[in-house]
Amino acid sequence: MSTALRVEGLTKRFAGVTANDDVDFDLRRGEIHCLFGENGAGKSTLSSCIFGFYRPDKGEILLHDQPVHIASPMDAIRHGIGMVHQHFVLVPEFTVLENIIVGTQRSGWRLNAAEARQKLKGICDGYGIDLDLDAYVWELPVGRQQWVEILKVLYLDAQILILDEPTAVLTPGESRVLFDIVRKMCARGMSIILITHKLVEVMQSDRVTVLRKGKVVATLDRPETTPDELARLMVGRDVFFTVTKPELAPGETILAVEGLSARGFWGDAVLKDVSFSVARHQILGIAGVAGNGQKELFEVLCGVRRPAAGSIIFKGEEVAGMSPRAMMDRGVGHIPDDRFREGLVPEFSVAENVVLGWQRNPKYCKGPLMDRDAITGLAREMIGEYQIATRDEHVAAGKLSGGNAQKIIIAREFLHASGLVLANQPTRGLDVGVIEYVQTQLLKKRAEGFAIVLASEELSDLFNLADLIAVMFKGEIMGIVDPRTVTVAEVGVMMAGRRGETAASKKRVSA
Amino acid sequence: MIVFERRMEANALWTLASFIMAIVAGLAASAILIASTGANVPDVFGALLQGSVGSPKALATTLVKAAPLILTGLATVIAFRAQIWSIGQEGQVFAGAMGGYLGAQLLAGLPPVLFFPGVLAFGMAAGMGLGWIAAVLRSRFAVNEIISTVMLNYLVVYLLSWLLQGGPWGETGGTVAYHQSPMLPDAAFLPALFGSSRLHAGVLLPFLAAAICALVMSRTPLGYEIRGLGYNPEALRHKGVDIARTVSVIMMASAALAALAGAIELFGVSHRLRADNLIGLGYAGIIVGMIGGLSPIGTVFAGLFFGGLASGAVYMRVLGDVPASLVPAMQGITLFFFLCAGVLARYRIVMKVAVQ
Repeated sequence: MSTALRVEGLTKRFAGVTANDDVDFDLRRGEIHCLFGENGAGKSTLSSCIFGFYRPDKGEILLHDQPVHIASPMDAIRHGIGMVHQHFVLVPEFTVLENIIVGTQRSGWRLNAAEARQKLKGICDGYGIDLDLDAYVWELPVGRQQWVEILKVLYLDAQILILDEPTAVLTPGESRVLFDIVRKMCARGMSIILITHKLVEVMQSDRVTVLRKGKVVATLDRPETTPDELARLMVGRDVFFTVTKPELAPGETILAVEGLSARGFWGDAVLKDVSFSVARHQILGIAGVAGNGQKELFEVLCGVRRPAAGSIIFKGEEVAGMSPRAMMDRGVGHIPDDRFREGLVPEFSVAENVVLGWQRNPKYCKGPLMDRDAITGLAREMIGEYQIATRDEHVAAGKLSGGNAQKIIIAREFLHASGLVLANQPTRGLDVGVIEYVQTQLLKKRAEGFAIVLASEELSDLFNLADLIAVMFKGEIMGIVDPRTVTVAEVGVMMAGRRGETAASKKRVSA
Repeated sequence: MIVFERRMEANALWTLASFIMAIVAGLAASAILIASTGANVPDVFGALLQGSVGSPKALATTLVKAAPLILTGLATVIAFRAQIWSIGQEGQVFAGAMGGYLGAQLLAGLPPVLFFPGVLAFGMAAGMGLGWIAAVLRSRFAVNEIISTVMLNYLVVYLLSWLLQGGPWGETGGTVAYHQSPMLPDAAFLPALFGSSRLHAGVLLPFLAAAICALVMSRTPLGYEIRGLGYNPEALRHKGVDIARTVSVIMMASAALAALAGAIELFGVSHRLRADNLIGLGYAGIIVGMIGGLSPIGTVFAGLFFGGLASGAVYMRVLGDVPASLVPAMQGITLFFFLCAGVLARYRIVMKVAVQ
């Protein structure tokens, strides 16, 4: 098998941080080669060097054994390298066809839409991609938008495709389709670089290069390795995938939700008659594919969105329709799913973020001024306690990795909450090591006597942690089940819209 | 090939160098402009220097001219840091002078220790009213603050025009209708700092205001919320900050500063209500705040620089024989180069050798 691309001794430094340290990497023709590593291990830096976003400080990139100089993404495209980013670069108001041909036409100033349409039709038919070229991008669900990006790369006749965390936004079904088509591309001689930190995806590749702290730890043939070995190589130590959850008898009811409904921007029902309750020492898991009302449920519970109907009883008090401030003051902690948009001010320092929302609390103020000593002291304490990897408390939170940013939010919410923690996708996009850490922290809070509502798209999270699992579909609860007696497949069926046995919901009534 | 590369972190020395380059480039461009009028460039710059810092009297004029600009600059800083694009400083300056004038009618006869704080408070309250209207329009009806504040500017300017010409505040008695009110009584003149110089006590207020703004922005919960609102309002909303209320507070604080500029112009400089010494102070304040890097201390320096330009302008016109419109042109050129410097400071210039 010939080599499509080789990287030799690549080193890239950013302001004193070595993101890639003497990295060797080779991509064979027709293979899926996975770049595997934690956030900040150097996967993205390496791919950005290959795609021409960064210039390596040292080392060479060879295409078909010829050294090449890739100065910009345009150079990379000319060399037949395409990249699909985690965050899409599409114009929502344009159609699929327009998005693909804009900026990619090589025929000068005239847009030749008919020719492009012909070529794209051929590509779609060849790969079995079912996508309406005249649909507006804003009409497409996120999973389909990704196809537009992939089509763009295919349209440019790329021979090497870099996929950056492609399944982050996909349902399990959609990822399966993606991998089927990626396989077909390989069969036609394309080579794929797959960037991921998910073990499930790694196991679908041909070879794996594991990066840790900017260095290549190993390059392995996938059939000859195991998920456990890969996880150990990535983190540098053994990882326990199942945290141990002690049996705890639920205490008094902390949160009781009855008949809760909410409407979206266009008046559509985003939450329909949702009822459940959570008690002290209990974790209620919310399962469901993203976009089925979990986010809206959390927004209503933490006061950011007004409910249309229903009641929310928190510690015996009706709190439906109260402001976020009132909910926070009553002891509700909230870990939102979009951490950099809703949970943090990225430009603020770690210390400032630790007191976000509590900046007027007398604990952190001295007279009319904020008490800098108290705040930095607290931040240092939190950095130590939650193992937040940062140079010091003055670093802007936006400069930290997703996992460390999440730890700031967890530290802040756990510190200020009493009684209830709402956690929406707390492990999304995090490394195995951090996921384990977050899970342990949630269980610690449960043991302390908190009630926790936890939504996660990773069923493993829920089966590991939850005492009860409520499955959501299109804003409704399909059933509340006991993870000890239900299978993953049964929950999966409910996630697709089938009503489940609500054996456990009897418990809810008696609770 | 020369390439601009974005910097990961700001470099203080390079930032300083960019701004020095901006001043040099701004002066060079101004020199070209001056030369194009046929005037002698060194003479004109000499006149500018003499008129702005050349004598105690020139310095006093610079301070008096800088005072309202620093205040409207600070008004800009407070709003823009929160990403509230208020352009209402112009109308708020007018409102400040009008409110002050009204206050002077009502509070006439009070001892100075009560009179001056009282009339300045009247002026600031009038400005805050305008700020509040724009805030409510934004929070309740989602009206863009740029639109609403510009419209309010027109409203206020024409209201003053009516009040002075044909309205109750116009100067009457002469055969010619001046666009101005009668003179205020001597008791309503802000006292001079040194003897009978033009340097009135009001010039101290901008510096006090700048110090307070700097403290508020960096050390208080309100400043924290202003900065946070500018960076990520969504996170603040999730963390219990009442956005509508905070926007109102910011708009009103900003308006109060701009209005104070109008009030000290009235009581310290013109001593009668008239439009021509108020026109442009608010818009210039936006430039001053931007050149000051949206920092209170930077705004003080930018305000002094612009005050010097304004004060030197008179000399420049007389001694250098150049058109009066040169000064706003120089202000514009300076802003342009400072904005360029602001961008440049975030990039590094890399000389690249093309391989192959």
